[in-house]
Amino acid sequence: MFEWLALKMGELALRLRASLVTLRGIRDFIDDYPIDEILLKAIKGEEGVYPFGELASYGAAMLGAPINRRGYPRFLTIDDLILVPPAFTPKRLEKMAELLREPVFTDVNLEVDVGGLKSSMPLVVASMGSTDIASRYSIAIAKAAAKEGIPFGIGENVHTVRGYDKRLTRGHPSFKERVMAYLTNMDKYGGVFIQQNVEDAYDEHWNKVYSDKDLEPYIDEGRVAFEIKIGQGAKPGLGGVIRMRREDAVKVREKYHFLEDPLKTNKKTVERYSAPGTYTADILRGMIRLMRTSYPRVKIWVKVGPFRDVLDVIRVAYEEGANAVIIDGKEGGTGMAPSVAMKELGYPTIVGLIKIREARLMGIDDRMSLMIAGRLFNGAHIVKSRALGASAVYAGRPFVVAAMVKGEAGVRNFIRATRVETQMIVSALGKYDIRDVSHEDVASLNKDLATALGIPYVYSREF
Amino acid sequence: MGKVNPAVLEFEAMVKDKESYIKFIEEWVKHSWRWAKEDKYVTVFKIQASILRAIREYLDSQGFIEALPPIIGPVTDPGIRGAKQATIDFYGHEYKVMSSAILYKQYMAAVLGKVYFVSPNIRLEPNDSVFTGRHLVEFFQVDLEILNGTLDDAMKVAEGLFTYVTRYIKDVHGKDLEKMGRSLPDYKPPFLRYTHAEAVELVNKLGCRNPSNTEILWECEKVLSAYHDAPIFIYQYPKGSRGFYNREDPGKPGYLRDFDMLYPEGFGEAISGGEREYEPIKVIARIRESGEDPNKYRWLLEMLKDFYPLKTAGFGIGVERLTRFICGLRAVWEARPYPKVAGIGPAP
Repeated sequence: MFEWLALKMGELALRLRASLVTLRGIRDFIDDYPIDEILLKAIKGEEGVYPFGELASYGAAMLGAPINRRGYPRFLTIDDLILVPPAFTPKRLEKMAELLREPVFTDVNLEVDVGGLKSSMPLVVASMGSTDIASRYSIAIAKAAAKEGIPFGIGENVHTVRGYDKRLTRGHPSFKERVMAYLTNMDKYGGVFIQQNVEDAYDEHWNKVYSDKDLEPYIDEGRVAFEIKIGQGAKPGLGGVIRMRREDAVKVREKYHFLEDPLKTNKKTVERYSAPGTYTADILRGMIRLMRTSYPRVKIWVKVGPFRDVLDVIRVAYEEGANAVIIDGKEGGTGMAPSVAMKELGYPTIVGLIKIREARLMGIDDRMSLMIAGRLFNGAHIVKSRALGASAVYAGRPFVVAAMVKGEAGVRNFIRATRVETQMIVSALGKYDIRDVSHEDVASLNKDLATALGIPYVYSREF
Repeated sequence: MGKVNPAVLEFEAMVKDKESYIKFIEEWVKHSWRWAKEDKYVTVFKIQASILRAIREYLDSQGFIEALPPIIGPVTDPGIRGAKQATIDFYGHEYKVMSSAILYKQYMAAVLGKVYFVSPNIRLEPNDSVFTGRHLVEFFQVDLEILNGTLDDAMKVAEGLFTYVTRYIKDVHGKDLEKMGRSLPDYKPPFLRYTHAEAVELVNKLGCRNPSNTEILWECEKVLSAYHDAPIFIYQYPKGSRGFYNREDPGKPGYLRDFDMLYPEGFGEAISGGEREYEPIKVIARIRESGEDPNKYRWLLEMLKDFYPLKTAGFGIGVERLTRFICGLRAVWEARPYPKVAGIGPAP
């Protein structure tokens, strides 16, 4: 009798578990991603830099640095580095001489050049593509990014799947709607960067953009970049996959690879695969040259996944005069990727930062921006990345989370809060221009990372 | 040191004020029948007919065979600086209107040996091409290809063709040219040949900044063209600055066995040509440079395998640009009836 009950209970537990498993993806994201930190900023704006909920407010909270981390990953992250302010701050003295008063954090200048575009701070909205979620919030994010003066990316497949200027799918803005939502809201900072993958090349996406009269004034002004995509952080070496409605699939069946011919299947949806795209050093070199010839008035960006030969990519891009390379670490977001890819393929974001540090030491100067992506979302991440040679942080998911909770205002709040946070940290380091931040400002909690990055290990006498 | 043709200077003065130039060009294009009937243009069109006749005479005498050009196909020449292709729906497949017949020239060279097309092309050029004076959206080129030909063979045909046609027009239309105020010298081949690197060095010396690894910029090309009073060749372009079909020099990796011929007097590019890549794997890698899926070019790749090794060389020469040069016109929009220029329409 007991055995029977236990068995039934076990079965029930398994069934419950099974129904939860189908929610995977969303649940993993909520459990694993620092959702709270972003939500707080999206809702509260600048005030969100403080860890206060509705119950704890100024003077009423008792908080210390958290040492227990939920879902501690099996690899090291940028959070294994800390920022180390000095007591003696000659730069603060300089700033004081300039201002004739004690400087405060709001005096910190965050303006930087990012890949040939002027940005109000070293933060960039990653090029997100045609997936439902990226598409749905794209307009709110575009407007907010434009108004806050940070560059904004438009990912692959948007033209092919959502339409160039006419909507191909109901409820989803076309490419043109996205790009114009950004450009028409931009002031003196910012710019847009646009991807084209194999399938978009079929539709001559960049050619279309380059000769589009509505975009021309912005191209002339130097506010447009084209971004070559060589793999993705979450699934380096694999192409994208997305589920499409059968009737939509029929329209693009010559451009994509389908496991099942959408004309022959009677399923409602089919899975569409896009190719990862084949590169060699020669192909990349040729591609950049071809782009510089065909599109002399746009900047050229190269986004690359966590590949072991990323330094070769950086070298070729630099030699050919590209304006930026972005390394997307394995923690980078994605519309869909096989679990095994997310778990096993490629290296963590922090290794991308090691590569950037190495590239800078190798002589890649600031004629070319180097950016880092993959689970980076706050002011500390920005400052640490800058300190180690990155030009900016390239992020996607925080903006989506902020848009989901509070639309355009949420995204603007999030950006502003991150800006204030960044300014606070830079000023704490005794500096008043983000460009002055350098490797002396960081130290490592981990010995291996310290060695790899050439920075001090905190628990040692060299520090 | 040559000098810039007055017609080219007049064109440059026109485009200085972009707004009034656009107004002018809109009127020019939208009501083209009004000027087409003027004496000057009647003469231009007659000379154009003679140019085509002279081209055919010369090529036929050299053993070339004229073949019918394609108009549409699943793919066309992608090696066109930033211009878009025109797409049509071919029974549910996307077809392109030829931006050049390049891929089909190799096809017909394999069949006939030495071959040429008088070929209509469509290129949806970027809007700023309106200001170059050398770009039309709809134009004709004489496109030729030589089976087992080399770079040098193609350049020699280019020299011979240019010399023959200019002499022919001077003979037949001497008075017409005089009336238009155009004087053409007797051109004597061989013409000067610069490698791309030498050409870049020269334009930089002439005060036009051109990056070393890219195509010669339009402004710099004009400077180079104006510096000479006979056509010149630029050859050995760096890889990546050209379409995938241009063959890489096996003896000089990173450089192509290709060339451009420029008109003198500031008229700019006349001819583009070279040897064709025929190793399928190299062609595939080069197709990737434009970010495309080689599957799109499947018929070409299959043909290259079937006819391996399909070694050819050739070039294309724009008919309107040649007419502009010979008649000394301000821009190509004077060198054909019902001209179509980027971004301006509707017009006949």
